[in-house]
Amino acid sequence: MGDMSDVKEREDKLQGMGTSLLRKEDARFIRGQGSYVDDIKLPGMLFGAIVRSPFAHARIKGIDKAKALACPGVVAVLTADDLKPVNLHWMPTLGGDVQAVLADKKVCFQYQEVAMVLASDRYAAYDGAGLVEVDYEELPAIVDPKKSMAPDAPIIREDIEDKKEVGHGPRTHPNHIFTWEAGDKAAADAAFKSAEVTVREEILNPRVHPCPLETCGCVASFDKATGYLTVYMTSQAPHLVRTVLAMLSGIAESKIRVVGGDIGGGFGNKVPVYPGYVVAIVASIVTGVPIKWIESRIDNISTTGFARDYHGVGELAADKDGRIKGLRFTALADHGAFNSHVSATKFPAGLFSICTGSYAIPNAYARVDAVYTNKAPGGVAYRCSLRVTEAIYLIERMMDVLALKLGLDKAEIRRRNFVKSEQFPYTTAFGWTLDSGAYHTALDKVLKAVDYEGLRKEQAQKRADPKSPTLMGIGISTFTEIVGAGPTKVCDILGVGLFDSCEIRVHPTGGVIARLGTMSQGQGHATTYAQIIATELGLPASDIVVEEGDTDKAPYGAGTWGSRSTPVSGAATAMAARKIKEKAKKIAAHLLEVSEGDLEWEIDRFKVKGDPSQAKTMKEICMVAHTGNLPAGMEQGLNAVTYYDPPNLTFPFGAYLCVVDVDKFTGEVKVRRFYALDDCGTRINPMIIEGQIHGGLTEAFAVAMGQQIPFDENGNHLGNSLMDYFLPTAVETPKWETDHTVTQCPHHPLGAKGVAESPHVGGIPCFSNAVIDAFAHLGVTHMDMPHSAWRVWQQCSALGVNKR
Amino acid sequence: MKVRLEKTFPMPASADAAWALLQDIAGVAACMPGAKITEQVDATHYKGTVAVKLGPASLSFRGEIEVKAVDAATRTLHLFAKGTDTGGGSAASMDLTARIDALDAASCNLQGDSEVSMSGKAASFGARMMGPVADQVIGQFAANFAGRLKQAPPQDAAAPAQGAAAPAPEAKPLNALALAWAVIKGWLRAMIGR
Repeated sequence: MGDMSDVKEREDKLQGMGTSLLRKEDARFIRGQGSYVDDIKLPGMLFGAIVRSPFAHARIKGIDKAKALACPGVVAVLTADDLKPVNLHWMPTLGGDVQAVLADKKVCFQYQEVAMVLASDRYAAYDGAGLVEVDYEELPAIVDPKKSMAPDAPIIREDIEDKKEVGHGPRTHPNHIFTWEAGDKAAADAAFKSAEVTVREEILNPRVHPCPLETCGCVASFDKATGYLTVYMTSQAPHLVRTVLAMLSGIAESKIRVVGGDIGGGFGNKVPVYPGYVVAIVASIVTGVPIKWIESRIDNISTTGFARDYHGVGELAADKDGRIKGLRFTALADHGAFNSHVSATKFPAGLFSICTGSYAIPNAYARVDAVYTNKAPGGVAYRCSLRVTEAIYLIERMMDVLALKLGLDKAEIRRRNFVKSEQFPYTTAFGWTLDSGAYHTALDKVLKAVDYEGLRKEQAQKRADPKSPTLMGIGISTFTEIVGAGPTKVCDILGVGLFDSCEIRVHPTGGVIARLGTMSQGQGHATTYAQIIATELGLPASDIVVEEGDTDKAPYGAGTWGSRSTPVSGAATAMAARKIKEKAKKIAAHLLEVSEGDLEWEIDRFKVKGDPSQAKTMKEICMVAHTGNLPAGMEQGLNAVTYYDPPNLTFPFGAYLCVVDVDKFTGEVKVRRFYALDDCGTRINPMIIEGQIHGGLTEAFAVAMGQQIPFDENGNHLGNSLMDYFLPTAVETPKWETDHTVTQCPHHPLGAKGVAESPHVGGIPCFSNAVIDAFAHLGVTHMDMPHSAWRVWQQCSALGVNKR
Repeated sequence: MKVRLEKTFPMPASADAAWALLQDIAGVAACMPGAKITEQVDATHYKGTVAVKLGPASLSFRGEIEVKAVDAATRTLHLFAKGTDTGGGSAASMDLTARIDALDAASCNLQGDSEVSMSGKAASFGARMMGPVADQVIGQFAANFAGRLKQAPPQDAAAPAQGAAAPAPEAKPLNALALAWAVIKGWLRAMIGR
């Protein structure tokens, strides 16, 4: 016992942390055996279809249900007036505002929910929805957020016209939601005044949509006999939803069960509580039968959880060597018709103040003004923590703008401003304490891997050759993410702290079930959490079952979003496992008749120091824990539950480089190379990390190159089907080269940080920087996303580079 | 989604005859492919329907027409029409100013200036097609209008059209295939003509 090959063999058998274990959940997914909400069929179930407004802004003068009610199969038509008696025609939002569940007297965005038709099947429901006659009086719509606060602007929200605030401080106009500020304005202004160089750029993060493959939906089932409400739904945060439903409905939280099931992608879109869920629940309470409501693709893209719509202005002040002295970032945020933007109570602009990025910037000030427009409500974090993509996009773009102004190399300007390895933990001008980092190492590794100097030489040659049919661009992004919300002292939603949980039960024969407050939507939790437990407890990952999403079974937690699963629940898992291991150690000491101090842990067993033949395996201990042969006073069982409140957020980082070739004559951008180095601390399952990076980069590519939700001047949505909305397939997606460094998180029990969002946050500015770099020698400092061929071609034409 | 159309069509009749027909709202509506007046509410208000079929999607607009002004001196008619798709999800309005300009005893020009506004699904999906489709619809309208004028007695337009005028064409939905072909022809012509 104890020889190296044996130890290695035992370790391999566990398939614990560091192993690229194939995902346990994929077998059922690839066989089409997943169980999604639309797969649920309950006896007597009715289907709901929503009647939506064709107008972006209109008064409702009347609703005639007669024809719809006469339609075969239609059982009922619900409007705001029907929800009034139960006081559910309006609902509070996660942003401190209220939102119409069904339009009450007026509609404030196109496709707003006006009525729900209940019918015996979904086709009858849709036929019925087409027969509900709504009499509208159209009102002028506000589409451009820059016009929202004009003195004569139409008032969008008459219901709160006289309210002095809607959750986040004083309002200055009926269409104003809040103004949020951070940092030291006076110090930043002073830095700008005395600066040798300043740069300013207007930078848009356009309105986009996460567009998960599975749309949102639910099956609500209220049992009149027991008063028990069960809701099967697409939610990234089932426990928070249960709390919200209890607050909304007045039903005791113990009589509400929210079940997540399998979820086909979320990316932030499945965090909020949408009107469709609420109407389905009310309908089930009223009718006493289960109600199913499933969004169509059009419903999903046009009404639920959009992202971004941040109209930013970036300013940097620096000395002539490019060392940044001051930063001022502001944004005008278009929140649509209701502020149902998902944010922690104290962070109405999310974590926008991470906008100093990876750089040591002594003076900084940020301000966000949020306004109403006649567009769909929301503002979710699309594969990022809230407003982090917006913040990092600004800083990474501005680094390039500053480099251009100073004639400095874009890698060099970053090197000069990086927080140095020895400065960690580093507290930024906005007060965030960056936990750990090795920014210079990461960037240098990438530059070496791609032969950066060679690429710049090639670019110089192409620029010197007027006959070159393409423009070559090199983009760099050296980002720092902020994930893992979060410490309860600063982070809560509706008063509930953003801790998370894990409960582990170990069975007599060594099988384990772990239940968590998070909710997988494709992240591979069933595999990753099992691997953590495997390593911690020395039991094989194959025998460890992970369950999430059923609020009757799992301990309370805030769910999966903001890359918080590994930083928060991963930590809870390790801590719960360690409690079990401590008990196991006591049992081992008792069985081996030694003191605990004489024992040491080796892979899957406790052994007596100096006498390796004396050992008790974890499997043996599992059985003993369920017998009477225990230390005096010890209870049976090997169970533990941990609620983990992280001491800080985690700050994964990376260095990305992208090379593009822009066709001067078609405007088409070809991604020649994309090299992504990520550092997420300890790597639990390298294959899953790789998959997350591929997915995040693909969504970054989508946003940078094509995704956008356009509106016409009347507020008509012009891109709500997959005919218009860009969802890249394998055909469009470039090849990704991935790399990594490991800088452990000092405050996480495993040293791990989150990873899934880094490639999205860091990827978008990298693509933009590459495209804009292709035009940099022609005096172009910025081009707004998306960099579609049409828009890039317009730039080529404006510059005359496509003249033969 | 708004589109503005300014069109001039030559008409094979005198200005007076054309003006007489232009004031007959039901007659004008009958020239519009897929349109029909269902009720005259009062002297200046009408109710009507327009059906458009595009492949599997049928849009059936039901709405009101208001005659805003009739100016005999300049032979100008100003009307405003709006309607919603009874299948739900779409709405449209049109502000139209039509004028008859005399050329000679047997010919005149019908000049139309209209702004068409679409909301809802019709705008989300139809926006890219709206210009060419509207062109075709107006073109068919002008052809039907000219057809009616040819059949009407040239100088006696005000008299009751006993059997002389053709029966109002059936209000049948705009044929998608024919429309698509017309749109493609229009594009091709534009491409070659460039």
